[in-house]
Amino acid sequence: MDKLAYTSVNAMKSLMNRQTAIANNMANSNTVGFKADMVSAKAQYLNGPGHDSRAMAVERAMQADMNAGTIKQTGRPLDVALEGDAMFAVQGTDGKEAYSRRGDFNIQASGAMITGDGYPVLGDSGPVTIPPSDRVDIGKDGTIFFVPQGGDPTQPQELGKIKLVSMTGSAISKGSDGLFRVAGDGALPIDENARLVPGALEESNVNMTAALVDMIETSRAWETQARMLRMTEELDDSSANIMSMPQG
Amino acid sequence: MSNSALQVARTGLDAQNTKMRVIANNLANVNTTGFKRDRADFATLAYQNVVTPGAPSDAQNRFASGLQLGTGVKLSGIGKINTQGTLQNSDNALDMAIEGSGMFQVEMPDGTTGFTRAGNFKLTAEGNLVTSDGLPLIPAIQVPQGATSLTIGNNGTVSATLAGQSEVSELGQIELANFTNPAGLLSVGNNILTETAASGPPQVGQAGAEGLGTIRQGALEQSNVNIVEELVNMIETQRAYEVNSKMISATDDMLQFVNQQI
Repeated sequence: MDKLAYTSVNAMKSLMNRQTAIANNMANSNTVGFKADMVSAKAQYLNGPGHDSRAMAVERAMQADMNAGTIKQTGRPLDVALEGDAMFAVQGTDGKEAYSRRGDFNIQASGAMITGDGYPVLGDSGPVTIPPSDRVDIGKDGTIFFVPQGGDPTQPQELGKIKLVSMTGSAISKGSDGLFRVAGDGALPIDENARLVPGALEESNVNMTAALVDMIETSRAWETQARMLRMTEELDDSSANIMSMPQG
Repeated sequence: MSNSALQVARTGLDAQNTKMRVIANNLANVNTTGFKRDRADFATLAYQNVVTPGAPSDAQNRFASGLQLGTGVKLSGIGKINTQGTLQNSDNALDMAIEGSGMFQVEMPDGTTGFTRAGNFKLTAEGNLVTSDGLPLIPAIQVPQGATSLTIGNNGTVSATLAGQSEVSELGQIELANFTNPAGLLSVGNNILTETAASGPPQVGQAGAEGLGTIRQGALEQSNVNIVEELVNMIETQRAYEVNSKMISATDDMLQFVNQQI
């Protein structure tokens, strides 16, 4: 059988991966601070004797679409949305610094401030811990204000700043936990001018229409490859027929 | 057979379905006294590494970015949004609303303490102040028979004029409880929340003191559900559900096509 079949099968494997990535984007269309994944394939030529016609499509790069999502007002004091291209610094499960755009913070019983998916939020000096307080607010520059328990509500106290970093010019990629990290254990520089919107959340940046179009396109490409396989079979059939001995 | 796109879309359907249920519960409780709306929080499921970023691509180079396929979405939690509900005057002397933070404490049937924002209290035949389900208030307040002009102060002091007396006498003091993480409380139904390891222990104090809210007699705190917001959320959830089901049918078509062609 001609090797053409393998080129098609390879393409189909890639296309199913692509469809999975699109399905994941669609499934996360309501996840706060989610950044859509983009899969790109590259042609990998297999050099050998004969005509250079076999280029396998190999899915290689997967990047996140870092465009901002829609900002939705929630009115909750611990919800914050980032403006521009700043990111929150959080502590990953490995204890190292990672980055996220997710701003639905919660305060645990221990006082630790965590993101909606459970990662401790980092401040100027390590993870943010809020002492027992009656009210916690986050300012536009990331400064945390709190009214201590039994304190005067008109005199909020300042408790450091949330670490806001800039991703401009740095190569960051999404890890298996959905957090962003700098390649080779680096850290992003602190962004002094980062601004955030208190009482709002950045929604997922998945563009539903684009995702649906991509989905249809992938389905059709898959069908083309499947037809190609069928064609290969027919070609093989006909050559076998030509070669066959005439029957009595 | 690789059918992961189907499975990923299924997690999307599950999550949107749960979100719809949360919205339905919020809408159903739009008139429940002291109800605090819930919000479904989503998080991505772990990514599957196909090519790890930084893995060597050849002897000299490394992949700048990897190929990681997402495996879908999960519900990371359902949190209460503890914003103040509108206060509605009811002119009923036993109705109380909390303006600010804090919760009433009630004694659960099993002897533990429950917490509630619903202040529609009633009197039992013995004169005890109880919730509409009959759970007694902590600390217990007893109103003697024949007492008139029951007054509850902003700080929770309960006083009344007893039968045959002209002076006002103090009957007790209502205390409120607050939590470090009120979103971590467990809803057990009937407007009651209970303490968990996530919420931390209750900090009990007099109303109006130590950051606790004040008590307003003759008013009820309405549900903080905003119908318009819930309806918008409902439409958004419905559309997200639809695209996920489209993905399931599209992937199904792909597999069907292959089965027919080959």
